[in-house]
Amino acid sequence: MRAWIKLLHRVEDSLLAGLLGAMILLAGLQILLRNFFDAGLLWVDPLLRILVLWLGLLGAAVATRHDRHIRIDLLSRHLGARAERWLSAVVDQISGWTCLAVAWFSLRWVRLDYADGLTAFGAVPAWLVEAIVPVAFALIGLRFLLRPLTRALVGRGAGDTGSEA
Amino acid sequence: MSLATPLLVLLALLRTPLFVVIALAAMLGFAQIDVDLSVVGIEIYRLAEMPVMIAIPLFTFAGYLLGEGRASARLVDLTQSLLGWLPGGLAIVAIFVCALFTAFTGATGITIVALGGLLYPALKQAGYLERFNLGLLTSAGSLGLLFAPSLPLILYGVVAQQMDLDEPVAITDLFLAGILPGLLMLAMLSAYAMLQLCEAAPGQAGPRAAFDARAARAALLAAKWDIPLPFIVLGGIYGGYFAISEAAAVTAIYVFVVEMLIIRDIGFRRLPAIMRDAMVLVGGIVVILGVSLASTNYLIDAEIPSRLFATIQQHIDDRLTFLILLNIFLLVLGMMLDIFSAIVIIVPIILPIAAGYGIHPVHLGIIILANLQLGYITPPVGMSLFIASYRFDKPIMTLYRATIPFFVILLIAVLIITYWPTLSLGLVGG
Repeated sequence: MRAWIKLLHRVEDSLLAGLLGAMILLAGLQILLRNFFDAGLLWVDPLLRILVLWLGLLGAAVATRHDRHIRIDLLSRHLGARAERWLSAVVDQISGWTCLAVAWFSLRWVRLDYADGLTAFGAVPAWLVEAIVPVAFALIGLRFLLRPLTRALVGRGAGDTGSEA
Repeated sequence: MSLATPLLVLLALLRTPLFVVIALAAMLGFAQIDVDLSVVGIEIYRLAEMPVMIAIPLFTFAGYLLGEGRASARLVDLTQSLLGWLPGGLAIVAIFVCALFTAFTGATGITIVALGGLLYPALKQAGYLERFNLGLLTSAGSLGLLFAPSLPLILYGVVAQQMDLDEPVAITDLFLAGILPGLLMLAMLSAYAMLQLCEAAPGQAGPRAAFDARAARAALLAAKWDIPLPFIVLGGIYGGYFAISEAAAVTAIYVFVVEMLIIRDIGFRRLPAIMRDAMVLVGGIVVILGVSLASTNYLIDAEIPSRLFATIQQHIDDRLTFLILLNIFLLVLGMMLDIFSAIVIIVPIILPIAAGYGIHPVHLGIIILANLQLGYITPPVGMSLFIASYRFDKPIMTLYRATIPFFVILLIAVLIITYWPTLSLGLVGG
């Protein structure tokens, strides 16, 4: 189990780095083509925009892992450690089910586009690029729901190597 | 919506991630007006239909690389050797360097963390009072938000463009509009820094360094790769050579080549972690923006901004009163919310209302950002206060006291910016 979680983390991290790298290269290539050859590849611009969506949602999944989502931090400083643990457990459950609901409803939309055979750009099917929405939200939701479990399994600092910023 | 609203606010106050609260609000809202909830997915996917969005991961990555390497140290050396001989020189250096750094790295607390450690001992050595140094560096952490290519400015443009206004908000207009208000803030703080010197060292011109041509040359040489960056990016954007997303790509590539291949400040082994950390921040922003596209769509469908405007108009009939209330509201909000979520949440509601009072959307953007910037240092819970307390290892009460004069100066600047639209709009559309 622990090995699987580690593997998932590695896959996520590599995907993030790979997609970001691809984005930088493609954007650079497009600028070169446009300015020096007066040309451009048609599929690069839509692909770049889709990369933003993928990067953002995967980044959000990793942010859930590191507990780095943006939230209002007013009350927690005044709560005791125990009250805070309870509160985060409840909030995690609410967050988890909300994200799963988003994943569920987006899945319905993706399946409709799949049935209609829509394409995103070129010959790339729409459902393929859209799939990141339900997949990422399902991952985020499960992560919230299973947080008590993963904490017990991998220890509190699970994968928490991110620097403070 | 009416029943659910207090519950959602409570959830947000109890540390529920904001994107969850917004997603819940959107789904509850749509369910109430019988819209199929698949719309939430469709709205999130609209993130992939906005070309400007490409700028967000690219600028963030470049900012993280700049924060990780020694660019901040070179920048301080350079400006200190060039401007250090001025009265109040070092403090003014600190103000301008922090503003430049924040514009390029986004107001994410990086400035205080990366530059604070360099400037704090330098200011102390130059003979400034500790309280002044702490206040200066704390407030400098969010200075520069109004200058291109700061992420909050871009984000305001992105959100405003979703609103279907009569006057579209071009991000390049926002970049122009921010210049004079931003400079006003820098000038007012610099003037304060000059006065400060006389108090700290009465009877003398103050601890100003003599100009050292050799040191200046060495600093210039060390920073020769960093110096072109602002010129390329700002020149490219303001000169109309690059779209914003292209400027972001050029910045990312340039910073990568300089930091990793030429100067080699940062080892390649650290690259994956830097990329991941940058994308975690991007993820946090993008997911909030995505779900807020859905909630904004609901707000417009349910005509909530226009109904709110009608209600507010019954009580407030002049623009001035509206602006005063807006200032107070934004100050409180900026203290509680980080700037990205604040923009995403309030702009869709406030923009139509402000338009009703005849406030130009570009001016409104500058008002909102200037206010939110002040929110960073508003006691008791402004974010920069806590970052500085952590970074400089000082009690939070010390920082409250140290920041007060800076807060007052910036508050005056914010009021001038709010009530003098020409300052923001003068450069736009000329």
